[in-house]
Parts: sequence; structure tokens; C-alpha cells
Amino acid sequence: MALLQIAEPGQSTAPHQHRLAVGIDLGTTNSLVASVRSGKATTLTDDNGDSILPSVVHYAADQTIQVGRTAQALAVTDPHNTIVSVKRLMGRASKDLKTLAEHIPYQFNNDNPALPRIKTTAGEVSAVEVSAEILKQLKIRAENTLGGELSGAVITVPAYFDDAQRQATKDAARLAGLDVLRLLNEPTAAAVAYGLDSGEEGVVVIYDLGGGTFDVSILRLNKGVFEVLSTGGDSALGGDDFDLAIAEWLVAEAGVTELNASLNRQIINEARRVKEALTDADSVTVSLLLGEKNWAIELTKDKFNQLIDALVSKTLASCRRALRDAAIDKSDIKNIVMVGGSTRVPVVRDRVAEFFNKQPLVEIDPDKVVAIGAALQADILAGNNQGGELLLLDVLPLSLGIETMGGLSEKIIHRNTPIPVARAQDFTTYKDGQTALAVHVVQGERELVADCRSLARFELRGIPPMVAGAARIRVTYQVDADGLLSVSSLEESSGVEAKVSVKPSYGLSDNEIEQMLRDSMNHAHDDMEARKLREEQVEADRVLEAIDAALLADGDRLLENDEKSLIEQSRAALSALRQSGTAEQIKQAVKTLEKTCEGYIARRMNQSIHDAMAGHKIDEYTTNKDSK
Amino acid sequence: MSDLFSKNYFEIFELPVGFELDLAQLSAVYRELQKEIHPDRFVSAGDQQSRLAVQMASLVNQAYDTLKSPVSRAHYLLKLGGLDIDHEQDTTMDPMFLMEQIELREEIESLRLQSDALAETDRLLSRVKGLMAAVMNDFAQAYQQQLFDKAHELSRKMQFLNKNIQELNDIAVAIEDELLG
Repeated sequence: MALLQIAEPGQSTAPHQHRLAVGIDLGTTNSLVASVRSGKATTLTDDNGDSILPSVVHYAADQTIQVGRTAQALAVTDPHNTIVSVKRLMGRASKDLKTLAEHIPYQFNNDNPALPRIKTTAGEVSAVEVSAEILKQLKIRAENTLGGELSGAVITVPAYFDDAQRQATKDAARLAGLDVLRLLNEPTAAAVAYGLDSGEEGVVVIYDLGGGTFDVSILRLNKGVFEVLSTGGDSALGGDDFDLAIAEWLVAEAGVTELNASLNRQIINEARRVKEALTDADSVTVSLLLGEKNWAIELTKDKFNQLIDALVSKTLASCRRALRDAAIDKSDIKNIVMVGGSTRVPVVRDRVAEFFNKQPLVEIDPDKVVAIGAALQADILAGNNQGGELLLLDVLPLSLGIETMGGLSEKIIHRNTPIPVARAQDFTTYKDGQTALAVHVVQGERELVADCRSLARFELRGIPPMVAGAARIRVTYQVDADGLLSVSSLEESSGVEAKVSVKPSYGLSDNEIEQMLRDSMNHAHDDMEARKLREEQVEADRVLEAIDAALLADGDRLLENDEKSLIEQSRAALSALRQSGTAEQIKQAVKTLEKTCEGYIARRMNQSIHDAMAGHKIDEYTTNKDSK
Repeated sequence: MSDLFSKNYFEIFELPVGFELDLAQLSAVYRELQKEIHPDRFVSAGDQQSRLAVQMASLVNQAYDTLKSPVSRAHYLLKLGGLDIDHEQDTTMDPMFLMEQIELREEIESLRLQSDALAETDRLLSRVKGLMAAVMNDFAQAYQQQLFDKAHELSRKMQFLNKNIQELNDIAVAIEDELLG
């Protein structure tokens, strides 16, 4: 049906059925799900009326899995089997965990260093599987509340997430049975939540301090287009670090020498409670149960501010960098949007206001604002809001590079480049008759490959044997709108497509995901074949609906008679197989129809560009003074 | 109607080919184009069309990115003018300019030792930006008069100065981090 979204605005193309789509904020500490209902985005609540689902999963020996508050209650008594803040582990390899290890009570199986697994009494689980449990819970909540099967979800990620972390998030969604419409950057989602309500235009800063991550984004809003100018932040800094700062102080004050996992959890929970209490109080009594004894101490707001001072400064340093990257002066900023529970801490608000010399916006609940923005975007992507002019233009958060001689990273696509983006690079062979070439892709700003994140190693095989230097291999790196990378290559002198075998340095292969799907409780009783057939039928319906509407709109104008009859033949073939064919037959018929329509679709898109441009005079553009 | 993929970057934005360009128009047309072709507009349209949208949006982004910055815009103009600057061998430079660069490098390296390092960095930054503006002006004229060799040398000067500016920005950020914690 979206083939049709290129129709004139306001012109209805096909009877549209409302699709159930949600926005999900998969947070470090808390997760939420929101949806647009009767034109308004609201968070969905559980049976107790709670919007917030704590991002905590408990695994019991009898294989039962609990998610949310019930799991949270078990964190103190059963710390090894209660997974908290799993978002910090997403897309992380074993070696990354070492820096976090002293604060994590879990034991890991590092047999596959790219995908460490947490040992629990119910077996080993990966961060992706733990996140999938949280997503499943939200999916059930949404389907119960909205009364139907979800057609898709927008899931938010920190803008600073690298490729591995994004891919892990997408894998988790797939595992939970969710169709991801888009991975949306959290700050962008927050801007959507504020921007749509107030019709804001101008430059906006989003300061997002969550449980485990800090993000700052600078956006320009203009006529419904959100253009990300720069992003920055720290994927390992958040409110949890405030808790840790208090906890470390407590450990020192109480003179605790032996810290077991259970006591550690007790101290961290108490630290969190105290932090939250200090939002309103000037001083709070901290108490701990140490062995038999009850130990207590007073923590003042001043002391707390001092404990977290360096952490807050670190966030402001990121803000400065983002401003420089965007070439924006502080005085150009129209608004600052506060996101994330940790922005409730008064000293954070004060220092942000001081830094930007402007009071930040706090009207929308900082815990809900991301989920609400994601829901609004989901509604548009699902096609429910056809008049919606909103478009989000994101950027690549971290530079992509390849390893060159001496272990250095050569940047191919720089950070803050608008996405989607493609870059091509030419390679040649250095030996006579060489038929393969290895490429190592990394992500990060540092010079040394060792300091960057390894994304993938590619082997280009099947290069025709030639003298050294004669082959010309063009490798194309494509980053999609979700910020995910794919690679393709072509040997140009012979036109042979060299095979790229992608070996991700991290994460799950498609096969592993399939296997997990098969293994998971939820799908154990599913008939995989029936499921496949149903999926292909849905896809066929989508394609048929789209092509019919397209033909109706401009088939006669853009197609020659013989082209049109070819398309109609393929269409009829698909339509027949849709009723009685196997999954594989339907899939082939969809492919054939798409192939037949290739030229037509390209023509339609070019036509729509042409129409859009023709509708304007040059003067209209030049009267915009807001662009730099 | 001609195909997006067969247009040059200026044609994509319906701008006249030249160094001086209306940035307001560039970003306005950019937004207009993205509204039509961004992959978000084709989320449920099936693989084929999504792929096409990704390719088109990537091209428009690439074109926008190239034209937005004066340095890459100059580079692109020379390529349009038929110069093979990606594989250039001739790297001779105006000796006066090179001397100036050597002095600039020395100044940049000594910045962090200054007592008022941040203010000094900002001062040097605005001086280099002044140099850049002058070179850009010369480039625009040379290009308009089709003096491609001269324009080529000026574009290399722009690259040098751009590197200076980036470096100074990085230094400013580092000093600020140290000062402000």
C-alpha cells in the first residue's frame, strides 16, 4: 500500500484499514509501550495501571520467566538469576564486558566471545534473549489493550548506539515476534513528542540522561522535517552511575570490606531510593542491614551533588562537542528538551539551564516522552496518518572505517553524515592471480583499529585472476535509515560480482535467530510451515493492494499497453497462487511481479519527485531564512 | 522527465552549476526531496521499492552533503569540469602559502602552552576562517572565468585551511574539556 504514499497529499488512494502500531521505549531501567488512539498518543498500562515496566527479567530453576516488578522484587534475594540493566550488555562482546564486570553480578559463558551468555539456573541466555522477554511482555500488554495483533513497532535506541547495539536490538524484536518499522533514535523521538504538539520551528537540543546512557542531539525543525544536525553522548553513562557513586560512598562510609552480590544489590537499591528522595528533600537518611546490625547515615543534597559533579560535567562536555559539530552557537538554540528519569535530579536541570543559559522544557513526563514520540512515528509509518508531513532525517552516530596497513582505521563515512548513505571504495589486487581480498570494517572515532568496534570482516572471493593491480573491485557500504550497515561488491573490469561473505564480528546469524525462535517457548507449538505460508500470504496481499492502487492512479499515464498487460498477467498469477499456492510458490510469484514492475516503480518515484519540484517556484525556497 | 540517477548534484537540487550557491534553497529542496523518497515513506511497500528508496535517499544525501560544504563543493565542481583530481600527481603549491602553513602549524602546536589557550585558539580560528573566506572568494572567480588550473590550486588551499580549522576546533574542545571538567 505504501507504493501509494507517493500520491498527491489529501488524495485517498485505497480504503485504508487502521493498523495497530506501537512505539516502544526499551530502556536500561524501565521500558514502556505507547500507541496513538483516537488521534492522541498515550502510554499503555498494565492491569495495575502502571505505564512503566521495569527492565528486569528473572529466570527460575523451573524455567518460569518473570518480567517487571515481580522480577525486580527478586533482585536482592536472587541476584545471579535476575537480569537488570541488560541494555548495557546489548551488542557487547566478552572483552567489552570486562570494563563493566566489577559492577555486574552475573557469570558469563564466553565460549563465543562475540556473544557472551549469562549463566542462570534456567540455562544460559544472551542479552538479546533477555531483551526479547521484555519486548514480549510489552507486546502482550499492547495486544490486550488494543484488542488485536500488532502490525508493527517503532523501537527506540540511544542515538549513540553503534551498529552492533542496533542490530542486537533488532534481533531481540524479531525474537519477540515484533515487526520493526524503524529503529528510532531516542532524542529524535522526544523531539517528535514535543514538536508535534507545539508546531515548533527552530533549533532544539535534546538532553537525554537515562538509566545507562547519555545522549545529546541537536535538531533543526522545519515544516515537519526533523533534521538531526549532530549527536553525541556516552553509551555507558547514566543514572545507574549516580547510584554507583552513592553506593561507593556508602561502602566507604560503612566500612564494608566484603561485598557479596546480595549486599551489593541491597546497597544499590538503597542508593537509588536515596537519589530519588533527594529530588524533593535536602537530606535523607540512608539505612543498610549489615549482618544483624542496622546501620544508618545522613546524605545531604550538597554531598550528593558533589558525588555526581564529575558525571554531570561529562554530559556537558558532550553537549559542547555536539554544538561544535553542528556549528551552532548556544544563542541559536530555541529550546532544550529534557528526557530520561535522571533529568529529574535538580542539579542536572540547574547545570543544563546554566550551560545553555535557558530553562529546559520538562512539561512531558521525562519517562514517557520517548515512548510517546515513538508511537507518533509508528502511527505515521504504519500509514494511519496519511496527512502527516512528519519526516525524521537521522545521521550516522559513529564513523565507519576500514582497517588499513599498520592497524589504522581509514574513515569511509564520517559521523553525523545524514542517513541513509552509501559510499563506494575501489580496491585492487597486489599479487598476480589473486582471487580473494579481506576487508575489516570498524566503527568509532579513534585512529587505531584496536580502539574501534569491529563490525565485520568481509572476504571478497571469486575475483577473476589477473595481473597485480589490474582488478578493480568496487566495494559499496550502504547504511540504511535504521543506521545499519550492509556491504556489496563488484569487480568492475570484468563485471563479475565478487561474492561477499559477511561474517559479523558480533551478534547473531539468521540461522541462530531461527533456531532460537524454534526453541523459544512461545513458538514451540507453532507449525513453522503454516506460519511461513501465512507470512507469504500477508506479503502477497500487501503487494497486490499496492499494485492495484498504483495502476488505478497512473497506470494508463506511465505505462505502454504491452507493459501494462505484462504486469496484469503477473498480477493475475500471484492472485491465483495467493489462494491455493504454497509459501514458496507465492514468494516466487511476488518476486516475478516485482521484477515486472521494476521500471514502472522507478518511473513513479521519479514522477513524484518531478511533481513535488514542479509545484514550487524558486522564490518559495529562497524566502526561507531559517536555513544556514 | 529525466532520472534522478543520471543528474549531477546541482541538477538534483535544480541549482545553477557554480561555486556560489543559495544554501537556503539547497536545504529547502533537500527537505522537499526527502519528503518524497525517504525510505520511511515506503516502510510497508515491499523490498524492491524500499531498496530503491534507500538508493535514492542515499544519492540525495550524498549530493546534499557534497554541496553543503564549500570544500567538497569546490572539489566536485572541478570534477564536473573534467579534472581527474582523485588521482592527481601534481601537488606543487604556492611557496608563500606553504610558508604561511608552516607558521600556522607552529602556532597551532604552541597553542596549548599559552596561558589563555582557549581565547588564543578562538582568535587563531577566526583568523584562519578569514583566510578561508578570501580563498573561497578567489576560487569562485577563478571557476567562473574557467581558469581550472588556478581553481584547482585554490581548492587545495581550501583543503589545507579546512584541516587547520578542524584541528583548531578539536583543540578548543579538548581545552574546554580540561577547563570545565
